[in-house]
Amino acid sequence: MQQEGRVTRAGALNAGKLMRTYGTVLAGILIVIAFGLLSPESFATWENVINISRQISLLVIIALGATLVTAVGEFDLSVGAMASLGGVIAAQMAVSGMPIWLCMTAPLLIAFVIGYLNGWIVTRFRVLSFITTMAMGTVLGGLTFWLTGGSTVFEHIPDAFRRLGQSDWLGIPLLSVIMIVLTVLFWFVMSHTPFGRRLYAIGGNETASRMAGVNVSWNKNMAFALCAVLAALTGVLMASRLGSAHPTSGGGLFLPAYAAVFLGMTAFKEGVPNIWGTFVGAAIIGILANGLTILEVPTFAQDIITGCIVVAAVILQRLGRGER
Amino acid sequence: MKKALMVLMAFAIVSVLAACADGQNGGQGGGAKQKTVAILTPYLASVTTNEMVESLKKQAAAHHWKTNVVDTKGDFGQLASRMEDLISSKVDAIVLVSTDPNQLKGQIQKAAQENIPVFGCDSGYIEGMTMNATSDNAAMSKMITEYLFQTMGGKGNLVVLTYRPHPGVLKRTQQLDTMLKQNPDIQVVTELQVQVPGPIENARKQMESLLLANQSEGSITAVWAGWDEPAIGAAQAIEAAGRKDIVVVGIDGTSQAIDMIQKGSPLIATVKQNFSGMAEIVAQQIDRVFQGQPVEGTELYAPASLVTKENAGQ
Repeated sequence: MQQEGRVTRAGALNAGKLMRTYGTVLAGILIVIAFGLLSPESFATWENVINISRQISLLVIIALGATLVTAVGEFDLSVGAMASLGGVIAAQMAVSGMPIWLCMTAPLLIAFVIGYLNGWIVTRFRVLSFITTMAMGTVLGGLTFWLTGGSTVFEHIPDAFRRLGQSDWLGIPLLSVIMIVLTVLFWFVMSHTPFGRRLYAIGGNETASRMAGVNVSWNKNMAFALCAVLAALTGVLMASRLGSAHPTSGGGLFLPAYAAVFLGMTAFKEGVPNIWGTFVGAAIIGILANGLTILEVPTFAQDIITGCIVVAAVILQRLGRGER
Repeated sequence: MKKALMVLMAFAIVSVLAACADGQNGGQGGGAKQKTVAILTPYLASVTTNEMVESLKKQAAAHHWKTNVVDTKGDFGQLASRMEDLISSKVDAIVLVSTDPNQLKGQIQKAAQENIPVFGCDSGYIEGMTMNATSDNAAMSKMITEYLFQTMGGKGNLVVLTYRPHPGVLKRTQQLDTMLKQNPDIQVVTELQVQVPGPIENARKQMESLLLANQSEGSITAVWAGWDEPAIGAAQAIEAAGRKDIVVVGIDGTSQAIDMIQKGSPLIATVKQNFSGMAEIVAQQIDRVFQGQPVEGTELYAPASLVTKENAGQ
C-alpha cells in the first residue's frame, strides 16, 4: 500500500518534471494545433511552414547571439543597432560594386571588433554591460545614419546580393538552412566544447570560475564578439531578404530576441539560457505573429497575446519549480 | 495542483486565440463572398498615417469590404513577414500605407503571382503594384518653400528638420535642396534627422539645443520641417524660449498644426495634404479592380493646399 503511494508520487514527480522541462514546448505545440484547427486552409499548409521557417530565421540568428551573452550573465543592448549597421555596410559595399562574398563577410569582421570592444569595456573597467552596450548601440545608430544620410539603401543593389536572402535550396529558403546550420553549430559549441562549458560556468558563478583558472575576461569578450557577429549577420541577411537596407531595420529585432531567450530559458534547461530553448522561443513568437495575422487578429491584440504568453511561460516555470 | 494550473493556462491561451478568431469571423455576417482588404503599415502611430487608415476603413465599410489592419511599429522585416502571411491567407487586396514599396519588392512580386492586387496609399509605386495614391510631394515642398523664402525675403539662416528614410519626406527635402541652390543667400545652419516615433518631442529637444547655441538675433531666421510633427516641436521650443524672430513651416496640414497657425505661434504655414482624398482614390481604384476594370493610373494625386494664418480658420 505504502509502496503504491510512493509509485504514484514518483509518477507525479516525473510528470511535474516533464512539464517543467517540456512545458514551453508543449505550449508551443498547443498553439500550433489551435491555429491549425482555426485556419486549416491557410495555416496548416506546407507553404506556410516554409513561410514561418523563413520568417523566424532572422530572429533565431540574432537571438542565438543574445543567448551567448545572457549565458555569461550579461546583456547586449546593441544587437539591434549592430544589425542595422551590418545591413547598411553590406548594402553600400554591394552598391559600390565590390564582390558579394566580401560585402557579406566584411560587416561580420567589423562586428567582431565592435563586439570584442563591448566585452573589453565591460570586463576591463567593470562597467555594467547594460550601460556599455546601450551606449554602443547609440554610437552604432549614429554611425549608420552618418553612412546613409538617413536614407534607405536600395538603388543599384545587384541581384546577386539578394540571392542569399531570397533563394531556395531544394524548396527550402536559404535563410532557413542558414538558421538550422547556425543553431546546430552553436548548440554543439555551447554543449560539447570547453568554450561553451566555460561560458555556462561563468554565468553560474563568475568568482568560482575565476578561482578555477578560467580566463573570465577573454571568454566574456568572445561571447560579446560572437553576439555582435550574429547580429551583423542578421542585418546582412535582412538587407538581402528585403533587397534594401533601412537605417533602423534591426531595431525591431532587439526586444523579440531577448523575449526568445527568456522563453527559451523556460524550455529544456530550467532557468538557463540554452540554444534549442532560444530556437523554440523564437519559433513560438514567430508562429504567434504568423498565425494571428492569418486569423486576422488586430495588431494590438497580437501584442497583448504575445506579451501575455511570455509572462505566462515565465510564471508557470517558476510555479513549476515551487518558487513563489 | 501546479500541473492543473499549467493545463489551465494553456487552455486559457488557446481559448483567447479561438475567441479572437471567432470575433473576426463573426464580423463576416454570413456573407460568404465578402471581400477582405488588408491594410499594412509600419507607422500606424503617426497622426497622418492613422487618418488614412481610418478613412480607408470607412470607405471599405461603405463598400461592405472586411478590413484587417496590420501595424509593425517601424519594423520593415516584420512588415515583409506579415505581408507574406496575408498572401498565404489569400486576402482580396493589400493596401500599403506610408510604406516604401522598394523594401517589399519580393513580397509585391509574390502577391502579383498570386493575383492579389497591391495598392499604395501615400507610399510609392513600383512594378508589380496596381497603383498608388499620394500627394505630389515635390509640388507641396515647392509650395511651402516658396512661401517661406518669400517670408524670409530671400535671405537668412535656415534650420532643416527632416527624416530622409521616409520616401515622401525625402522627395520634399530633395525639392528643398534644389531650391536652396537657387537661393544662395539662404544658408543652412544645420540639417537634423528627427527620430521616429516621437518626432514632436525629439524635434523640440533638437530645437532647444539649437536655440541655446544660436542666441543672437538673426542667427536662425527660420525652420523648415519635412512634416508637421517636427514643425510643432520646433515651434513649441521657440515659443518657450520667447524668441520672436524665428518662423517655422511644416507640411501635412494636421489639425494641431493648423490650430497653432491660427493662434499665431511661430508655426506660420503648412500645406494641407488631402489624406482622406488619397484613401478615397485608393478605395475607388480597389472597387474598379474588384469589378474587373483597369485602374485609372498607376500614380494618382490628391491635390494639396497652402494653409496660412489668413485661411487657417476656414
